[in-house]
Amino acid sequence: MMRWFPFRSGRGAEMVVTLALIASGWCGEAQDCTGGDARASTVAPNAVSFNKDIAPIVYRSCASCHRPGEAGPFPLLTYNNVKAHARQIVTVTEKRIMPPWLPDPQAARFADDLRMDDHEIELFRKWVEQGEVEGNATDLPTPPKFAPGWQLGQPDLVLQAEKAFDLPPSGSDVYWNFIFRLPVTATRWARAVEIRPGDKRFVHHANILVDRTHSARSREATPGAGFGGMEIRMESQSFDPDSHFLFWKPGTIASEEPAGMPVRLDPGTDLVLNTHLLPSGKPESIQPSIGIYFTDHPATLFPMLVQLENDAKLDIPAGDASFSVGDDFRLPVDVSLLAIYPHAHYLGKDLLAEAKLPDGTTKTLIHIPRWDLNWQAVYRYAEPLALPKGTVVSMRYSYDNSDANYANPRHPPVRVKSGNRSSDEMAHLWLQVLPRAADSGDPRMVLQEALARHNVDKNPNDFEAHYNLAAMLQARDQLKLAIPEYERAVEIQPDDATANNALGEALLLDGKSESAVRHFQAALTARPEYFDATYNLGIALAGKGDFAGAAAQFQNAVRLNSLDADAQANLGGALAALGKNADARAHLERALELNPSHRLARENLEQLRQPGGDQ
Amino acid sequence: MKQALAILVLLVSGVAGLNAQTTAMDLDGKPFDPLSASPSKTTVLVFVRKDCPISARYAPEIERLSEQYRKNAQFYLVFPDKTESAAEIHKYLHDFAYTVPALRDPGHALVHRASAQVTPEAAVFDAKGALVYHGRIDNLYQDIARKRPQATTHELDDALRSATQGVPLLARETRAVGCCISDLP
Repeated sequence: MMRWFPFRSGRGAEMVVTLALIASGWCGEAQDCTGGDARASTVAPNAVSFNKDIAPIVYRSCASCHRPGEAGPFPLLTYNNVKAHARQIVTVTEKRIMPPWLPDPQAARFADDLRMDDHEIELFRKWVEQGEVEGNATDLPTPPKFAPGWQLGQPDLVLQAEKAFDLPPSGSDVYWNFIFRLPVTATRWARAVEIRPGDKRFVHHANILVDRTHSARSREATPGAGFGGMEIRMESQSFDPDSHFLFWKPGTIASEEPAGMPVRLDPGTDLVLNTHLLPSGKPESIQPSIGIYFTDHPATLFPMLVQLENDAKLDIPAGDASFSVGDDFRLPVDVSLLAIYPHAHYLGKDLLAEAKLPDGTTKTLIHIPRWDLNWQAVYRYAEPLALPKGTVVSMRYSYDNSDANYANPRHPPVRVKSGNRSSDEMAHLWLQVLPRAADSGDPRMVLQEALARHNVDKNPNDFEAHYNLAAMLQARDQLKLAIPEYERAVEIQPDDATANNALGEALLLDGKSESAVRHFQAALTARPEYFDATYNLGIALAGKGDFAGAAAQFQNAVRLNSLDADAQANLGGALAALGKNADARAHLERALELNPSHRLARENLEQLRQPGGDQ
Repeated sequence: MKQALAILVLLVSGVAGLNAQTTAMDLDGKPFDPLSASPSKTTVLVFVRKDCPISARYAPEIERLSEQYRKNAQFYLVFPDKTESAAEIHKYLHDFAYTVPALRDPGHALVHRASAQVTPEAAVFDAKGALVYHGRIDNLYQDIARKRPQATTHELDDALRSATQGVPLLARETRAVGCCISDLP
């Protein structure tokens, strides 16, 4: 194909033609910026036009990111915008680099699908070949309207990260976490949570984790400073499965959670925003904010996040270009599948999730034939997908740990196992499901217990598997079954503070206070400033009549968290038992200040005020 | 097709010479030919575009290499987009803390002499003004939006070592990844 040279005289152009013909037998590698531009001097009457053919594609697949204030480096909203980048667009669409949409087309369609089909890509190429015709103004569809600022209107509550993160100008990508301390004083329900991640050009994704136990705070050097790291482990105290994906990626347009499924936000809850940041060439300051939209209507439907994984099997030899792992989980209840989130790190290659239904049919849930961590996303189904009880959900992931994988963090490749660092690997598949009623109780508990059992079967020597199963059994009031699972967890990790504390609690409930004390003490040896274990040890000692020992533990508990009404009340109780009534009364009154409806504190205080009760 | 262009450029520039209309200029608008400005040094042109995030990402690396080879090589940033004004370029240099001098090349005289296709793209000329390398700075980007965790080959550095220390150069031409210059109006 001949190529005209811009900015040259007619004479120069003639020479170009001649030389191009002479040299046309020589061909280097395909060039990104030179293909397909014959610049036809006459336009065919049925030529591809921007207004009729191209604008609808651009509006749907490009404009959500390529507009001012968004992640795209230049706007693609008008004829002139698109013409100025026309050849680049042909290149990146033909290579399917843009729009960044990883899943293959499938029967179960996703909402907000950006994908361009082959015909649309071909149209774009023809449009450029034919000279980028603008076309009739009357053919131009109405451009999409984007709200400036918050997409869902002014939020009821705006939280800004306390401290901006200073992103260095160069170096590797950065994974940074911001902790937002929720200032709510009573449980609230959020119909939507909108993430504004800071300058969107430098944020590749941002994901909120609901931290109900302040698990993340200990990782901050100073409160509000934030902390680095790609993956975060959260602890939960009771049966409280995660239920929502709160995820932002470039181009995300905030939306409300489905009807009946608001997000529960309790006092003391932290929202941890996990961000993936791209150095830009100059120092950048990243300070995200979160907008919360409340509703007065509590949840009536309770979705749940179900995780398939097989991290234990990830042990990928250096150079292995096709290493596979899988996991299969049989659903114990009917569910509606709402959304899906496949997750691997830089070695991920081909990620497939399928469902084999009881009738023998197989449905593709998602297939990503060319995984790219940089464009990871949560995918919501356009319509919920019904998966009946007995359906087997399967994940099949493959990994490329060779040098041919450009994203391989190690050069030359090294053996890679699972872990939280970006240079480690992961094999996770998260499903957001809405479980339907089950015969045997809360369907979420049935589902969670089945998952916990599945994990124990899959990894019989895994600490977390046993711990989670124990916690699940305890939540279902199966104390006798929970204790051996906790014991197995502690046997695997004798120094784990959380597991020792939980085992202590279970033993205490089961009337075995001597053993309980031993495990609370083990928890405190492992983590001396552990509030829960301190408090529990106080309870156990008080139960044995050791009020001096109990008072000492409650003193510690109050020092660790002066706002805990129970600790204040129990300290008051222990002091009263020791005859220190003035001190006792002060702590009981403090407990009532913190929680005016604290029954135990009120009763104990009344008893102290009885004649003869006071000194 | 690319090689055809390279051949052509030499001929055409021989014919057209340094036509005032197509010559590059400094930010004050004065014609400036970087290839004759430092006769005893290697000259490095790095083509960049203000709205190109890949150009931006390389600012620290361009500045670092310029500093490293300061004694023997003169670097220039070249802005080939005629819509980018001198004032905008000044701001860009300030934002990215550049000390490397900048030129405008709206007539694409330097684009042609360097056979540049995209931004960022580097071209290395020996002291006699002959093009000895053009292409990527390093392989940080496998493609647009496909960035490696870090670069594993460093072609511009290699070319500069070759030009300044006589180390043999393996690749005289590589494919640069970035924003098309040919899209420019």
